[in-house]
Amino acid sequence: MAADPRLARAVDPRRTATPPQPPPPPPPTQSEQKSLGGYDGVDDGNPGSEPRKEEESFKLRFCTVCASNNNRSMEAHLRLSLAEYPVLSFGTGSLVRLPGPSITQPNVYSFNSTSYQSMYQELEAKDPRLYRANGILPMLERNRSVKWGPERWQDWPVGMPRLSEFQQGKGSKGAEGGIVDVVITCEERCWDAVVDNLIERGSPLNRPVHVINVDIKDNHEEALVGGKAILDLADSLNEAANEERIEGDGKASFDERVPELLAGWQERWPQLPALWTLGWF
Amino acid sequence: MAVALQDQLTQLESARQIVLKDPGLYPQIVSGILPIVGANARLELRRWGAEFLSETFSSPVFPPRQKEDSAVGVLGTLKDLLEIPGEDAAVVKSIVQTAASIYGLVFHYIVANPHDVPIWNQMASIKQNVLKRWDTGPAGVRICCIKFVQKIIQVQTPGVIADPRRPEQNEISLAIVPRDHPMIPPSKLEPEASGLLDRLLNVFQEDHSDAVLVDATLNCLGMLLRTRQSISNKIISAILNFNPLKQANSPMTPKAKVQVKSMERTTRALLMNMYRRNENGPFAGRIKAYVDRFTQLRQDIFDEGSRKRVFPSEPTDGLDNTKRRRLDAELPPRRPSNIPALPPGPNSFKQLFTLTTDQELANFDVTSLPPQLMVNITLPVLARVDQQALTEAINHVRARYLSLISPNRNLPQVGALGDDEEDYEPDFEPSEDREQIINKADALPPEDSLQMPTDLALGPFKLPQPPPLTAEETEQIGKGVITKVFDKMNSLEEPSALKRQKPGLNRLAGSNYDKEAWVTVITRLATRASAGLDDESDEEEGSKALVKKGGPGSSLSDAIRENLWKHIIEDFRARIGIAIAWLNEEWFSDRIQNQAANNSKEGESLPQPKQHYEYWMLRVLDGIIPYLDAKDKLLIRFLSEIPEVNERVLVRVKGLARDPERVQLAVNTLLYLIMMKPPARDIAIDALEDLWRNYDDVKAPAAKHLAKWRPQVLISEVKPSTAPSINGGKPEDIKSPPPSTLTHTSSSTGGDQMETKQEGLPVAAAG
Repeated sequence: MAADPRLARAVDPRRTATPPQPPPPPPPTQSEQKSLGGYDGVDDGNPGSEPRKEEESFKLRFCTVCASNNNRSMEAHLRLSLAEYPVLSFGTGSLVRLPGPSITQPNVYSFNSTSYQSMYQELEAKDPRLYRANGILPMLERNRSVKWGPERWQDWPVGMPRLSEFQQGKGSKGAEGGIVDVVITCEERCWDAVVDNLIERGSPLNRPVHVINVDIKDNHEEALVGGKAILDLADSLNEAANEERIEGDGKASFDERVPELLAGWQERWPQLPALWTLGWF
Repeated sequence: MAVALQDQLTQLESARQIVLKDPGLYPQIVSGILPIVGANARLELRRWGAEFLSETFSSPVFPPRQKEDSAVGVLGTLKDLLEIPGEDAAVVKSIVQTAASIYGLVFHYIVANPHDVPIWNQMASIKQNVLKRWDTGPAGVRICCIKFVQKIIQVQTPGVIADPRRPEQNEISLAIVPRDHPMIPPSKLEPEASGLLDRLLNVFQEDHSDAVLVDATLNCLGMLLRTRQSISNKIISAILNFNPLKQANSPMTPKAKVQVKSMERTTRALLMNMYRRNENGPFAGRIKAYVDRFTQLRQDIFDEGSRKRVFPSEPTDGLDNTKRRRLDAELPPRRPSNIPALPPGPNSFKQLFTLTTDQELANFDVTSLPPQLMVNITLPVLARVDQQALTEAINHVRARYLSLISPNRNLPQVGALGDDEEDYEPDFEPSEDREQIINKADALPPEDSLQMPTDLALGPFKLPQPPPLTAEETEQIGKGVITKVFDKMNSLEEPSALKRQKPGLNRLAGSNYDKEAWVTVITRLATRASAGLDDESDEEEGSKALVKKGGPGSSLSDAIRENLWKHIIEDFRARIGIAIAWLNEEWFSDRIQNQAANNSKEGESLPQPKQHYEYWMLRVLDGIIPYLDAKDKLLIRFLSEIPEVNERVLVRVKGLARDPERVQLAVNTLLYLIMMKPPARDIAIDALEDLWRNYDDVKAPAAKHLAKWRPQVLISEVKPSTAPSINGGKPEDIKSPPPSTLTHTSSSTGGDQMETKQEGLPVAAAG
């Protein structure tokens, strides 16, 4: 793993967020809460240009969650899927909200039924200059290459096989069973929503799931940093899960080690406060 | 071999893909796979198989009926896998998850097949095996054991029978087991579940519980809390007695931090979920208190509170506050040190005009000089006095004088408080306030234009006193306080009816800090706190009108009253008690003030106190009357419990009779007042009579009661219902003799009712 050049970078706790290329035109309204168009991360740091080692057969399955399933969770989704992890992603908001011409006029779409492609087309027709400048179109471009459209966490039928055409995309391989081992949320209220929702569902499946929050600000630079951090976390979790599976070594249980791994990760990424619990599907 | 293994795994994987696509094939695939992944298979296969089984039996698409059959079929394999000595943790983990999923299914099967002993025995030995691992296994297995135990408890305590006619839809629980079941008699299962629950909740009491176990337990309790009434109280109590921060002793390792925070947040998530589900439940208050307490503690421990003071990390532009603030901070102190501030407390004129700091000079008595000498000195001095310095000095004295005569002078000095706060909060940055003060000071005439900022060495900085509050500010802040008190009151729960009954006459109002206490505090604040103080502000009105000019309270107490009124009207059915308590206070306060006014000597200028009771009583009444329906007891209760009823009230009651549907309400209310409120009896009878005369709809019901209370009216009255205009010409038509009798009962006494308004008679009749 140490040979992986991306990991060497990810370990650096300094914020090396500045992409090699110049950042896009000045992002408008920094303070805005909504996702501000994660700038397409494909060219940056070429996270997928070299395939991961294939001999690790066991992979933890991940799920990334943010408010609108557009910026932060999708950046992380892309990162994890390029690292060959099975990964799903969801939003916990009531609707998909993307920034509009002003803070009071967001573009609103419904979850589960709107594709990234249709959002892209609509916004491109509305005002291509604005939406390209604020990073929304590049973000949607990235998203449509990852999966069909934003999905809502609360509507997710956990354990339902994901084989339909709409559910295919990057990272869907290995997650066909419709279940994951680790949920990573990108904001504390999303963590709250996920944990509460799991309690609400009544844990009918008896399957444990680690729910981890990594607090990422909702703008595209932070989403890039957050995506790297999440990949770093995923790698260290997966490594531990694989160690547990080494035959004959039964003492270091993966689930037990999660707090310790997270603490270690937190030292590497002090600017992204983390939170964890073990829940049930 | 390795290649063969890989092939096998690939085949198994493709079989899995098939059932994921077509869940109807699960039964065949499961039974087909079992021999391949059994206890004799290689570890990789066992792992795959165990994982597959746990996925299969948790799958929501596997039809329940077939799932149950398959569950019975896999018991043997599960048992064998568990009994392999030193079995791999990953396999055991998956098997325990599978066991949790099938426990209910097998249970359901046994309910229907009470004589299939071997099956239940297999399940029982799996259960024993899993329970043995609960305390000793690796953590990953232990959490699955916790979930398994939760499932046993869920199954073996009675649930709710949703629909007895459709047993197949019932949730699997003890409630579906026949009392006389040979193998799983409820009398044996329920104690077992109870024992397991105790053991499960034990995790909250141990000193060094692992966070992963605590979280796993907390996160699976939701279902039990929701659907198992009989044990939910026990569970909530256990959680409320749990201290997730007990391991938070400094210094914490980063890992311990993650764990402690996790336990606290998970506890909070579960409790908040319960709280939202039932905000009026018996535990709601305790849950809220618990959550608040631990949120505070967590913030203290992890110092999260300080995070909000951190400056934003985004780049700041030139307009940013932080920069502006820094510029201001470099200004020299405005107040020159050689003009002393007035000492606090009452000041003499001498102090007011003394600008020098020289004590000797200040104490010099000018009157000791002969006037001629004074003139000789003063004239030349005045002639060459620096104009600017003079203006400056005059302004200074003027400012002092203005501050002295300002009515708010006696308010507490906020500045003194500010100093204290600085001590408590080391990072409290008062620059904002200073900026505001300086801005205010800029508006004043320049005081220090002579004072050059020459002394570059800054003396100790003294926070200037804030300017005194103006009347408007006071009022605004007062209103803020009122709103706060109301919020506080609203946030408190209603005391349960049971508790409220207890103290009886020994009750001390406002003694325990519940909602009722706040109601008492608020009503007394409104009626007593500033009684008599407000009146002066209205003196120029000159009018001694009982009803004050409208509009939201011009004084603090009126603002409270206004809020109280709104509060009551918002939900008057629930809050009528508050209205009554308040109006009683108002009435009492009015009386006390009247007494005080009368006791003072006649010549004294003490103004007649303003009366509030009637105005507010009528407003409350006006607020509720439009919403009353025909059967409402509320009006009767209100009128019977307020201390005084007058004609204006009855006018409103009479108004009800205009609505044919509420005629009965009006009559009943009057009748109640007649019977139960002797002081109001006469006016109530008058009102009834008036109704009888003027409202056709009221004729019959009113007549019935009038017959008892004032029969003479009925006798003496013409029947105006059909043709009132005929009698219109008669003077005093109220007392005109009746051309016909209206009711049979009163007809006999008709003759001797010439003195119509004889008040004493009906009262006597009532006794």
